Amino acid sequence: MEAILTDCVQNSLRHFMFKNAIFLCERLCAEFPSEVNLRLLAACYLQNNQAYSAYHILKGTQTAQSRYLFAISCFQMDLLSEAETALCPANEPGGEIPNGAAGHYLLGLIYRYTDRKKSAIHHFRLALSIDPLLWAAYEELCVLAAAEEATVVFGEAAALCVQKQYLHYGLASPNLHMSSEDYNSVSSQNFGSEDVSLRQLKHTQGNNLRDIPCNYHGAAVLSGPASQPQSGGPSNMSFYNTPSPMTSQLSGVAPPPLCRNVQPNGSNLHTVNTDVSPKSVVNSTIQAPRRKFVDEGKLRKISGRLFSDSGPRRSTRLTGDAGANTNANTTVIAGNGTNSSSKYLGSSKFSTVTPRTVTVRKGQSWANENIEEGIRSDAFDDARANMTSKSTSSFPSGDIRSLDQDGETVPVGGVVISGSKVISGASEVLGLLRTLGEGYRLSCLYRCQDALDTYLRLPHTHYNTSWVLSQVGKAHFELVDYLEADRAFSLARRVSHHSLEGMDIYSTVLYHLKEDMKLSYLVQELISTDRLAPQSWCAMGNCYSLQKDHETALKNFQRSVQLNSRFAYAHTLCGHEYVALEDFENGIKSYQNALRIDSRHYNAWYGLGMIFLRQEKFEFSEHHFRMAFQINPRSSVIMSYLGTALHALKKSEDAIKIMDRAILADRKNPLPMYQKANILMSLEKFDDALEVLEQLKEYAPRESSVYALMGKIYKRHNMHEKAMLHFGIALDLKPSATDVATIKAAIEKLHVPDELEDNL
Amino acid sequence: MATESLELEEEGKIIGGNQHLIVDDDLREMGKKAAWSVSSCKTGNGVSSLRDDNLENYWQSDGAQPHLVNIQFQKKVKLQLVVLYMDFKLDESYTPSKISIRAGDGFHNLKEIKTVELVKPTGWIYLSLSGNDPRETFVNTFMLQIAVLSNHLNGRDTHVRQIKVYGPRPNPIPHQPFQFTSREFITYSTVR
Repeated sequence: MEAILTDCVQNSLRHFMFKNAIFLCERLCAEFPSEVNLRLLAACYLQNNQAYSAYHILKGTQTAQSRYLFAISCFQMDLLSEAETALCPANEPGGEIPNGAAGHYLLGLIYRYTDRKKSAIHHFRLALSIDPLLWAAYEELCVLAAAEEATVVFGEAAALCVQKQYLHYGLASPNLHMSSEDYNSVSSQNFGSEDVSLRQLKHTQGNNLRDIPCNYHGAAVLSGPASQPQSGGPSNMSFYNTPSPMTSQLSGVAPPPLCRNVQPNGSNLHTVNTDVSPKSVVNSTIQAPRRKFVDEGKLRKISGRLFSDSGPRRSTRLTGDAGANTNANTTVIAGNGTNSSSKYLGSSKFSTVTPRTVTVRKGQSWANENIEEGIRSDAFDDARANMTSKSTSSFPSGDIRSLDQDGETVPVGGVVISGSKVISGASEVLGLLRTLGEGYRLSCLYRCQDALDTYLRLPHTHYNTSWVLSQVGKAHFELVDYLEADRAFSLARRVSHHSLEGMDIYSTVLYHLKEDMKLSYLVQELISTDRLAPQSWCAMGNCYSLQKDHETALKNFQRSVQLNSRFAYAHTLCGHEYVALEDFENGIKSYQNALRIDSRHYNAWYGLGMIFLRQEKFEFSEHHFRMAFQINPRSSVIMSYLGTALHALKKSEDAIKIMDRAILADRKNPLPMYQKANILMSLEKFDDALEVLEQLKEYAPRESSVYALMGKIYKRHNMHEKAMLHFGIALDLKPSATDVATIKAAIEKLHVPDELEDNL
Repeated sequence: MATESLELEEEGKIIGGNQHLIVDDDLREMGKKAAWSVSSCKTGNGVSSLRDDNLENYWQSDGAQPHLVNIQFQKKVKLQLVVLYMDFKLDESYTPSKISIRAGDGFHNLKEIKTVELVKPTGWIYLSLSGNDPRETFVNTFMLQIAVLSNHLNGRDTHVRQIKVYGPRPNPIPHQPFQFTSREFITYSTVR
């Protein structure tokens, strides 16, 4: 009965029928209370967004898997300290983190959100070293500005690592996966060994790299497992969200995202050489029509099918499909490899199989030739040499190349996927991740031009995905090139209408461009897509702010904060609105909130600097602008404000130096020149100031303040004619009411007092 | 709008009122930062009715004329426009007919800056505080007092439904002598 129930639960989970799964699982736990079943129930709850339920049932459990699930529930409920103790219990200082890479990643996130940057960085790095395809960990490292160059992280060592993982996982669990044929018939004997298999898996995580070396060359391995009916095992594992170490290590997806349960299946299949997890069976049925098998026993055929598929599939997905399939790129990049496999495995969403027919056939023939291939270092090298050039677009040919190479490999053990296949797949994934990672790292360091160049190196299909285009847009935004940013973002929206990533930045771009029509349209679309996303409300707030309705804008930004209190930009925008409403105290609080979440958010540093500038606390102001400058040394706006603060502190020489740098940094920015003229004027270097302003006239011919300032300088020089001329032009250019008053007053004072009525 | 000018010391007359409240974009309402008080009021029709954006309720005075509305700021502010909402059709003899606006540092040194006569006002009445001189676009003051000197049909008490006070927007960028007008400057002037 237990077996049947478990099976039903997993089936329901696979089909996303969570209510059914929860109900049946509760029956299962009532009837057979065991930790395994408890974990399954927790998994169901987590899938159904009921982290609190999972939290309560898993409280107090000790096994690594349970602790991991418990930590995830705590994290989702924002109980970070409990999550931390779950992952690394205080009484086991040397204990191993459950679930390897995923566990390290989760721990890293916890450390990050509790302000322990160094530990966070340490764990993210560990996670990456265990699983180089864990893109989310690399992303976090970039945000913390502690990422190494992508070429190092996603380099050859990584490829080796990935390959080893595949290999060893496959070997580690030979006895777990068998006879897919048996799957459908639920035999009780299978399920008896479930627990055993699970426990075996548990132990494999860190150790399986060295595990079962004997199996490596044992051809008997395959046949051996065949006789062991343990189909229940894989089925269990495949449905566990993250308990199986294999899956976790290979999951490219961070623990929080919900598509977890699909991953295990994918990785399972990949790794298990002779694996015939239930999924594979399903797949096989779909696959069957396209395949003929050299029948060396069902195992082999299935494994051959599996591996020939998984290899090409992965690469193909990377290359061919990325353009059309924004999901692969937008949601989780790392999932690229595993996503594809998971899609492969998720029988219900098996759409990806169809495009693979071509490659599959090739794989198949290869499989026919040498089913029992193992991994050999030469094969490895060959394949790698083949694949180092990421010619993703020419995937099929690439695969053929590798296939040819493989033809010569020596069969080893049951690791059918053949190291070369893995290697080629891994190298391609890594190549892609290298470019993307480098681009992301550079844009986090605000080296935007370099980042843009890096992204341009991506193949066309990848470039035209929402994630990449949003990043490109963001880079242009940081370069203050709002028109290009607008283009990139609108392209991103066209490519993927539903994606919300980066839309808050897009709304800011439109705000800067003062495009209120476009902005309101964007807001409408975003709200109708997802009312509960913080980005939508940020965009709405920007829309109101553009119309100077700061109170409503503030309300919207606060709503955004409520939806996701870890969204730093929402806090910063709140701060901006408070400042516009002249509520400086709350403004400071908001900016500090933003900095607490992300201390590299230079907008918040800038905001604080501006507040202090207004309050005339020039020392503080200079400090904050300098912090912003250190984070983003290329922004000419920040440099010009730093200069203003320095000037207010009477360090005018430094101020002028910074202004010059700002002018050089961005020729299109008129502000530093204007500020420089201001400073020069107050230093009484009138001629220099006039020179600068004359230059400025070229850049911004319709700026009233330029003429007004020139008028002022001429007035000081007692060159009344020119002063009058410039004041007149300034007035013509429709300055604000205050300025009109000031200018007119200045005009009056130009002449000797008895010419009072000489107004313009 | 009032047509009087201070130098000529002529009382301007305002006839009727405006249906809609339309104010320049570069002005903003300053009343939130002030303390509002009145010389007298009937229970239930107090000073809060002047500031609640509800034209249905009104402030009703309950004492001798002149009836005063005092607006006190914590620091000197630049004010440019005072807007009142009155309705002769509803209030008849309670509608003010002569209003004087005074400004100063406090109750002890208020000086009249504007007097205006209203004839059957219905709607929003705009009273600009600017003088003719460009240097006098704004009144820079701690306190503003709006005095109702007499009502229509010689009524004793008065009804005023809403009062708003406007001043210029401050420069969004601190430490600048002038505000920016062109798009290039404004785009580059802030980080958001």
